[in-house]
Amino acid sequence: MRPNDRKYADSHEWAKQEGDLVLIGITDFAVEQLGELVFLDLPAVGRKLAKGESFGEVESVKAVSDLYAPLGGEVVAVNAPLADELDPLQNDPFAGGWLLKIRPTDASAELGALHDAESYEKQVAAAH
Amino acid sequence: MSSPATLLRTALHAAHQAAGAKLVPFAGWDMPLDYGSILTEARAVRTSAGLFDVSHMARVWFRGPRAAAELDHALGGAIVDLPMDRARYTLLLDERGGILDDLIVYRTGEEEFFTVLNASNRQADLAALRARIAHSPVEDVTEDGSGILALQGPHSRAQLAALAGGRADFCSGFLDLAELTISGLGRLRVARTGYTGEHGYELFPGPGQMEPLWQRLVEAGAVPVGLGARDVLRLEAGLPLYGHEIDQAVNPFEAGLRFGVKGWKTREFVGAEALRAAPAPERELIGLTAEKRVPRQGYELLGAGEPVGSVCSGVWSATLERPIATAWCRKDTSGPLTVRTRGKEFAVKAVPLPFVPHRSRD
Repeated sequence: MRPNDRKYADSHEWAKQEGDLVLIGITDFAVEQLGELVFLDLPAVGRKLAKGESFGEVESVKAVSDLYAPLGGEVVAVNAPLADELDPLQNDPFAGGWLLKIRPTDASAELGALHDAESYEKQVAAAH
Repeated sequence: MSSPATLLRTALHAAHQAAGAKLVPFAGWDMPLDYGSILTEARAVRTSAGLFDVSHMARVWFRGPRAAAELDHALGGAIVDLPMDRARYTLLLDERGGILDDLIVYRTGEEEFFTVLNASNRQADLAALRARIAHSPVEDVTEDGSGILALQGPHSRAQLAALAGGRADFCSGFLDLAELTISGLGRLRVARTGYTGEHGYELFPGPGQMEPLWQRLVEAGAVPVGLGARDVLRLEAGLPLYGHEIDQAVNPFEAGLRFGVKGWKTREFVGAEALRAAPAPERELIGLTAEKRVPRQGYELLGAGEPVGSVCSGVWSATLERPIATAWCRKDTSGPLTVRTRGKEFAVKAVPLPFVPHRSRD
């Protein structure tokens, strides 16, 4: 079962509260669907995102996929080393493959609207 | 919307599952996209040998004393002079000279021809061919349990020879057909054709031969390769894919496929008149490379900021280790090239096709 210390979006991003910041990444399901990753485009620190806004894209051998902000806020950090080495995203999307940290505008409301691990499992199972 | 339960399966479906394939719907069939890594599989084809199940492709027989003449008229390529035991690449055109499909025709007898067409075009192709061919039986055997295995790569000949009792003299030329005797499996038709640009073969096992042939080749060292790698390899080789480089809005000349309509100036076939009347092409198919981002189908191509075309196909090349793509480009284009999609724009460089030199005739 996927980690239940975080919430999940329909578009396969996860969001984990860490104090007053939120850590964001994509799930193993998203990575598996994409296949072999070849390129990642992340936003600049300081960018302000709205919930649902595209914050970047991830490319695999076969396809390119937008990344959507599961909640709104200001980008305070990005996982810059991923630009040169995608292995942590390919193989460790829930930890070493984190994508960005934001200072959320409305954490409790927007996190609350996301799936918990159990509900996300059902979402993924239905997609197969 | 079709579900996995309604997809067609080749005779190797269970073998693919056992080999850990990621199965995806493709043209109505449940097919292996990869067996773990598109890039590793593509590299295996260029360095040793890869084995593909392409039994989803449409397979159609044409027979009878008028088959040669009727095919010669129905298709763009000359069929009447196709020698025995040889294959020919050709195009199925519409009345306007647009491409309905590309295909291979094999002459297996005086009055017998075997054709392989794209899975996605099977019904449309059969309708067109049946409308044009009135006097020769047309038999679609795509779903009879037989299939096609493609064995491609520098080790392919040795692996096939080992299964054929060490016989070394088959298919000495590219596009040759032969019948081999595979110990324990009987006669097997093979052709020196392929879609990777490598020295390789396409094998045509009957229903009872499919599974054992696959296993024997894997035991001989062939690496199972899925459709994902197949697309990378064919693009590296600069080979067209229907729905990308070719379709009804494309004529053979602009696509660089003049050899698929040999004799177009004088022969009579469906689409010939339109080809003869066609003006000189204003666009051409070019190869592109990029640094990191992959130019994808539909991205705009810009020359010095002006729209000059669009991308047909794009992948990450396993061999070149960078993005490669094909695109339509207006012939008078100059200035630095970029591709653009939804506000993102990045630089590309024009390069000659193919990206990887062909070794299929070696």
